[in-house]
Amino acid sequence: MASFMLPPVVSYACSCGLINPITKLYFCRHCLQLRCGFCVCHEVDSHFCSSCLENIPSSEAKLKKNRCNNCFNCPSCQHTLSARATTVVVPKKVDDPEKGDGDDKEKDKVITRKMYYLSCLACRWTTRDVGIPDQTVASGAWPECEYANQTRLNAIMEYYQSVVLQEKQEKQDLWKRKTPKKHKYFSLTDRTGLTVSMIRRQMGWADKAPPKPKAITPSEASEEVDELPESIFTEPVNLKNITTIKQRHSQPADQPETVDNLFPQRKSLWIKRSLRCRQCEHNIIKPEYHPTSIKYRIQLFASYHVPEVRLVKCEQPLKAGVANFVILNFANPTMHDMVVKIIELPSEDEEALLIEEFRRGFEKQTSLTSTPSLTSALSRQTSLNEEPRFVDKRTTAKLEYPNVPFTVNHRDDSAEFDEDTQIQQEEPPFVIWRKSNKVSVKLGFTPDPDLASNDEVVVGFSMQYNYVNTVINTADRSEPQKHTLHARVYVKVGNITSESA
Amino acid sequence: MEILDTYYSRDEYVETASGNKVSRQTVLCGSQNIVLNGKVIVQSGAIIRGDLANVRTGRYCIISKGAVIRPPFKQFSKGVAFFPLHIGDHVFVGEGAIVSAASVGSYVYIGKNAVIGRRCVLKDCCIIEDGAILPPETTVASFMRYTAAGTIEGGQGNPDHVPPAMQDQMVDFTKSFYEHFRSNA
Amino acid sequence: MDNSVKIMPKAIVCEESVLRGDITISPGCIIHTSATIIAECGPIILGENCIVEEYATIINKNASEEAEAGGNALIIGTNNVFEVGCHVQAKKIGENNIFECKSYVSPAVSVSSGCVIGAGCRLLAAQTLPEHTVIYSKNCLQRDAMEKQSQALQIESLRKILPNYHHLKKATFDAKKIRGQV
Repeated sequence: MASFMLPPVVSYACSCGLINPITKLYFCRHCLQLRCGFCVCHEVDSHFCSSCLENIPSSEAKLKKNRCNNCFNCPSCQHTLSARATTVVVPKKVDDPEKGDGDDKEKDKVITRKMYYLSCLACRWTTRDVGIPDQTVASGAWPECEYANQTRLNAIMEYYQSVVLQEKQEKQDLWKRKTPKKHKYFSLTDRTGLTVSMIRRQMGWADKAPPKPKAITPSEASEEVDELPESIFTEPVNLKNITTIKQRHSQPADQPETVDNLFPQRKSLWIKRSLRCRQCEHNIIKPEYHPTSIKYRIQLFASYHVPEVRLVKCEQPLKAGVANFVILNFANPTMHDMVVKIIELPSEDEEALLIEEFRRGFEKQTSLTSTPSLTSALSRQTSLNEEPRFVDKRTTAKLEYPNVPFTVNHRDDSAEFDEDTQIQQEEPPFVIWRKSNKVSVKLGFTPDPDLASNDEVVVGFSMQYNYVNTVINTADRSEPQKHTLHARVYVKVGNITSESA
Repeated sequence: MEILDTYYSRDEYVETASGNKVSRQTVLCGSQNIVLNGKVIVQSGAIIRGDLANVRTGRYCIISKGAVIRPPFKQFSKGVAFFPLHIGDHVFVGEGAIVSAASVGSYVYIGKNAVIGRRCVLKDCCIIEDGAILPPETTVASFMRYTAAGTIEGGQGNPDHVPPAMQDQMVDFTKSFYEHFRSNA
Repeated sequence: MDNSVKIMPKAIVCEESVLRGDITISPGCIIHTSATIIAECGPIILGENCIVEEYATIINKNASEEAEAGGNALIIGTNNVFEVGCHVQAKKIGENNIFECKSYVSPAVSVSSGCVIGAGCRLLAAQTLPEHTVIYSKNCLQRDAMEKQSQALQIESLRKILPNYHHLKKATFDAKKIRGQV
């Protein structure tokens, strides 16, 4: 089983305090901090349909209410419908070709035509089951379902759209009046005394005010409910004709009660999203535009910049209070040699300091953007800041920290084809194996004596490593900078072996 | 977790020149139509039906125990034709899975006891969970996860359902699985 | 149990399939490799043009107490398809059914004609499936199928492909000599 399919064994603490395995973490190269899905800003990059894999421009997506044009969902099992063709023999009439069912009358003037119907391959539902006529083209001609209250809902939507426009206009006028712009030059009005509204009236045009929303009759609530038909009590229920709740909810517009009224629904679109660091506003992930491409234009994954820790094994069965050894693998993903040192996790005060720093970084960011112009404020997404917090994981074992740093070689992709040439050098005693960019380390630890059987044993440490920043800043420095970074790692070594009687 | 060594007895597996490790207890029908591109592991009990149509796998694929790789058929008015099945590189097919897809992309993880219906299309970097059942002709787009409940979720850039570095994760997983799959003779 | 497998001529039975007990395979059937048919509690009679794919398991578990004539034989009708990995232990099976991948039918169920047991569905409770029922999704929801399920075209091409690649078991029963009942 792959590690990303199982519950995480090795987790890192993100800068906001949430615990995640390294597969879900990103690394911001400008802030030099780990980021998780909650401390980045998610932005919609492109829309696509997952079954026809077609890219839909976002304006069209908004118009079509985020639905695909060609693909439909089966109303019975919500899987994809596919078009099937049948050939029918049609008598060749001049005016209207009627759909014949195979038995034709004309001797010479017949044409075979392909008619399409939609069918579900999971539950074998077809459009013929509800009486939708077969179409002559496979896609594009399927009728839309008419549902009651459609005109009323459209009228309400139009009314509210005009109300929104009016309110927006009023807000803009208020804002303009509060902060009048000081012009340097004389305007046309100052020189001639003409205003725009006077000119418009002279030309015969209507006023520039937004159209007043057409008043619609408000809906009235009524307490009258239809009586139950008598047949409910007398007729036996045929469960095959009644829709399930899930089928009704997938068709929210009219929520049919009988299977005869099920209608294929258009498929929803999916998005590709790009992620942006909230503090420095740089992009962390930017995927390619095309739906079938798996590449990224910007990919700042944590597994490319932060050394990856993996649990190899724990030496002996775990017992509370009994000293034990664990073997961990450290892998260096960067192109520079890394010196790693395992030190203690930060204490409560130091963690509080980290949280303060995180918060200060946020306030600095929001203060820079506190006076936006009105249009940009409307277009920028409201970003929900994630509150930094203390890490929720408590270690349940005491690790013996080796205070000696060890080197992990840089990643060399060509080394897998070369012979293993190990340069003998002074190794700290806890390093037991070394190959290209991986190092195996044996550490001693003692689970807490007050653990019960089947309790998790969690070992935590802070990893200090040096990182070479390959982002070339425009300010003076022409060579990459070296930084010493910390990452808090929590390893679930296993469970206390249960003492079975 | 680092993958630990799995050992097999030397007389159970055949190792070819290109590094394929094929168990002797597999059923490979029509082996002249089966192309295993190199460093592919086929574990015991697997069935690959090369007699129905061509089957081609990429490098570093892992076909676990009891998996069935079967080219799909398409019904025409005049009869039925079996279509070739292409599997990309670094694909993991779990135990007992039945793969009848029209094509499987690269870096795909197929869980155990999954049923991939006829003529499905699995794009690169997707995950099929354990026990998922795909109806025929479904398309699973890149970075999507098909759950055991039958829903599809995910999307590129979404860290929750499919890891964003799925390509590197699958490359690493299949390569280390292959390296740790050793004969104990 | 004694192995008496009667294979009619024109049935294609691959060599690696596992057939145990008193089994009659009618003409036109196709049994793929690694299929398992075990006549545990009584004989199994496979109707014509049935397709049994690999890792499909058909077991006769009709240990019936009633002393009916031939009461515990599993009679399978014509034109049935048993797809990969299905596990069928039904009481009796009619015609034109499709048992999709990894489905399971318990010994308490009798399947009539024209049914489709969807992939992964497990039928456990004692019931008789009405005709043209489609069982789909994990929860074994039921609905009536309007369209007729057909799989006749598959048989023709399989009949041409399989003999080229597999060793086949020879027909043991020659209908010309003895008039057998199927």
